[in-house]
Amino acid sequence: MNTCVTHAFERVRWTSLILTLLFVSDKCSASQSDFRATAEVLKSQQQTIVKLFGAGGGSLDSYGTGTLVSGDGHVVTVWNHLISTGYLTAVTADGRKFTVDVVGTSTEYDLALLKLSSEPGDSFSYIDLSKARNPEPGTPVLAFSNMFHVATGNEPVSLVHGVIAAKIPLEATQGRWKFPLKSPVWLVDAITNNSGAAGGLLTDTEGTPIGLIGREIRHSASRTWVNYAVPLTTLKPVIETLLSGKKVDSRPKDADANAPMLSDQQLTARFGLTMLPNVVERTPAWIDTVAKDSIAAKCGLQRGDLIVLVNDAVITSVTDFQQQLAAFRSGEKVALTINREQQLLPVDLQIP
Amino acid sequence: MSCFDQHSPKTNRSCLPGRTSQLAATCDQSTSLKRQLDAVERTCVPWRFALLRKSRPAGGTYLLLLFLFATITPANAQQTVLEREAARVETLRRISPSIVCVMDPKGQGGGSGVLISADGYAISNYHVTSGSGTFMKCGLSDGKLYDAVIVGIDPTGDIALIQLQGRTDFSFAIPGDSDQVQVGDEVMALGNPFLLASDFTPTVTYGIVSGVRRYQYPANTFLEYTDCIQIDASINPGNSGGPLFDIEGRWIGINGRASFEKRGRVNSGAAYAISVNQIQKFIEHLKCGLIVDHGIAEFTVATSDAGEVTVAQVSALSDAYRRGLRPGVQVLSFAGRLLTSANDFQNVLGIFPEGTRLPLTWRDQDGLHEGTIRLRPLHAFQKAPELPEERQQRPPQDPENPDGEEIKPDGTTEDVPASLKSLFVARDGFCNYYFNDIQRLRLLTALKERVASNGDPKSVWVIAFSPSEPGPPLSGELTIAPSAVGMNLNNRPFLQSTSDPQVDEESPQLPGLLIAMNQLRRLLSGDAAEFTEQQAAGRTFHLPLEKDVHVLLTREGVRTCRWYFDESSALPIGVDIEYAQGIDEARLLFADWTDRNGAVFPSRIGLISGAQEDLRWLNIGNLTVNKPSATETTKP
Repeated sequence: MNTCVTHAFERVRWTSLILTLLFVSDKCSASQSDFRATAEVLKSQQQTIVKLFGAGGGSLDSYGTGTLVSGDGHVVTVWNHLISTGYLTAVTADGRKFTVDVVGTSTEYDLALLKLSSEPGDSFSYIDLSKARNPEPGTPVLAFSNMFHVATGNEPVSLVHGVIAAKIPLEATQGRWKFPLKSPVWLVDAITNNSGAAGGLLTDTEGTPIGLIGREIRHSASRTWVNYAVPLTTLKPVIETLLSGKKVDSRPKDADANAPMLSDQQLTARFGLTMLPNVVERTPAWIDTVAKDSIAAKCGLQRGDLIVLVNDAVITSVTDFQQQLAAFRSGEKVALTINREQQLLPVDLQIP
Repeated sequence: MSCFDQHSPKTNRSCLPGRTSQLAATCDQSTSLKRQLDAVERTCVPWRFALLRKSRPAGGTYLLLLFLFATITPANAQQTVLEREAARVETLRRISPSIVCVMDPKGQGGGSGVLISADGYAISNYHVTSGSGTFMKCGLSDGKLYDAVIVGIDPTGDIALIQLQGRTDFSFAIPGDSDQVQVGDEVMALGNPFLLASDFTPTVTYGIVSGVRRYQYPANTFLEYTDCIQIDASINPGNSGGPLFDIEGRWIGINGRASFEKRGRVNSGAAYAISVNQIQKFIEHLKCGLIVDHGIAEFTVATSDAGEVTVAQVSALSDAYRRGLRPGVQVLSFAGRLLTSANDFQNVLGIFPEGTRLPLTWRDQDGLHEGTIRLRPLHAFQKAPELPEERQQRPPQDPENPDGEEIKPDGTTEDVPASLKSLFVARDGFCNYYFNDIQRLRLLTALKERVASNGDPKSVWVIAFSPSEPGPPLSGELTIAPSAVGMNLNNRPFLQSTSDPQVDEESPQLPGLLIAMNQLRRLLSGDAAEFTEQQAAGRTFHLPLEKDVHVLLTREGVRTCRWYFDESSALPIGVDIEYAQGIDEARLLFADWTDRNGAVFPSRIGLISGAQEDLRWLNIGNLTVNKPSATETTKP
């Protein structure tokens, strides 16, 4: 079975080799079929990746990845929880450490542009966005990221290989939050949906930058973790706008009054939970009562607990909590973080 | 991060038919994918010609060239792809017989392993064998099951050595040089994930090297992966202990660990293999049936903001301190590797067994310095340590024990045949003393034969010596007797009793010579009772001789000696002697052993001493053997 797959994989590479030979005859080399040769080229590519560190906790990682897009130290990454924490540092591939400012963000493109607080004279390797290309499905790709925080200091980030499996619009959710980008993204068969990988770089086997590795998210239909990257050709105009100091969209991230939500009755009937009545706008998600022997009681929830997080989404109100819960299907496991007597406690809840 | 292993509970076994059909389905898919791609390829050539005709370039030669290109290159490219595939298939055929499916005595599951010699030695993970007990069952790709016994373990490095029984012509893997492995290299992992193959045909997964020289902390346990190879090949439960090969089929590592998170304990694209170069440094130790320990350097380092590695703390009792290392000095290299971070230091430290002597270079205000230090024990396990619950490899405990078969504490059952049972001897501080006995007797028997002519061990030897090089004038005479060692050095007397030697009884010019002669007399007597303990202690790279040597470790009182033997001689080529912790070792070299007046003794003795580790050679002159005196012979 393995041989079949590898063989097929090589056929794909072979096909792309022909295409390369056809159009760029002077690029004729065997490097397409040899990751070692390409890795030599890609050593310079690893210099463009930074390791990001911020605040985490619970199911939230305190680390991530970013990709340098300017010689002045501008970095792009996914606009996830890490960026929102306020205090960020970055370590470049040669081990230099910088504090980081958020220059601009785009909700629509799920993108954040950061700036390393460099001194005059500091220089950085960066990817050339104008070289970004749009390969077809079947193209072998390499993904650079500091997944699982394997690399520290001046150590090179991790490299995984795969093939572009499809180019499709992505319908994916993270709790109640929906992936906003409408234009197609690349699905890859390499596992890029890993802790800390978001914001890493996808390239072809010659090191041409092609995409920004996406966040940890599940597909709306299959509920499986999606390995995707947003094409850099899609992001390029947005990055350039942000680089020029202009704002892009300003739609607030959590404004979704029409999102489905669990009613108070459903919450009581299915979970055995009654929340504090939603009397003012943004009433905090306090638990009022927990029915005996209910799901909520079994997982350890108590009267007076304040729901702080559902997985890695911050819960701003009781409405927010009811919307978040509605996004999960029966049988899924949800990691709640609650505040009980000034202590943050993790609670695992299985959706009934 | 976590380790893998697969205990195939009975439920899993019953699952196997289902899995097989799934497997067949997947295979069909791949075949159809292959067919589709073949179709694409077939359509490729006409399409390309069409394109060429359409975009007809100016110039007939160019056109001709392009035509040649189009007709020849794809054929060559296809050839290359097919050749590469054929080579890979051939490589897998060659290496598959070395893959071991390691299971507990009931054949209930476990992990993987790899044969490394024709006489059945195989490497696996400690966290695989620790759940399988002393004796295990091993399946090979020939579909047969072999008995195996545990030989040695390296708990910290997560490595175990076992020996398969019943053949002397096992296929085995050929190691490569894992220091040459680079990011992007193609790799293949072989093993028995999910115990898929009931006939033990190994599963192959393919990937690339994601990172090298990775350091993975001991996560809630003592298992520490240093200088390891990170790969994106699929590593799943049951792959643990199995080998990682480069694309040419050279064995480069042992797959044992992966990063897990939300998906559960299955492949996440980030797995770690212990490098074969690290394993090679432990193999001879493991063959001695030891619980091999890793070491500490007795100083810590930190990475400064400037990217320098500097000493944070140093123990005042350490080799490093005596060499001159102090907090704040910059460490440039360790064990020959340049350091750029504290992680580098941890990586180097982790690949050596305890007791290894390693070179160090550092810089302080006086300039560059170099010296050697010996690694001290990290854990000093006296028994095979227990792994945390989640890392354990035991089959699901059945409180009812339906088979009614009693499993003894050492994992054996009543039905272990006597011939297999005889291959295991339990002793504190050892994994399997049976194997230490073999290695120890190999060294000692050869030595004893060689010194047989030395006559009565209670004789008194009187030996004249002089320095072999110019320097401060030295001449002296040693008197070596069972009760004491005396020395006359430039008419100044020194005396040290053999039962209670003190370091301050040594001469300042030749420190360590008295204790060394005391211990050498014991060794050359050939009488095991002269020591409280003797054990084979593996192989090490001797400094300053710079050669691989076997180590015989002896203890007598608080004094530990490491005697070094090379392949060419039954006699030691050197010894390092510890008086006690905090005191520099007495380090001697022995050269040109000769038989003189009925006594086998070296013609030259080298003495390494001082902070600078200066080497000074002494020429041995006249040697006379005196009959035991009355007091010596009547001594109880």
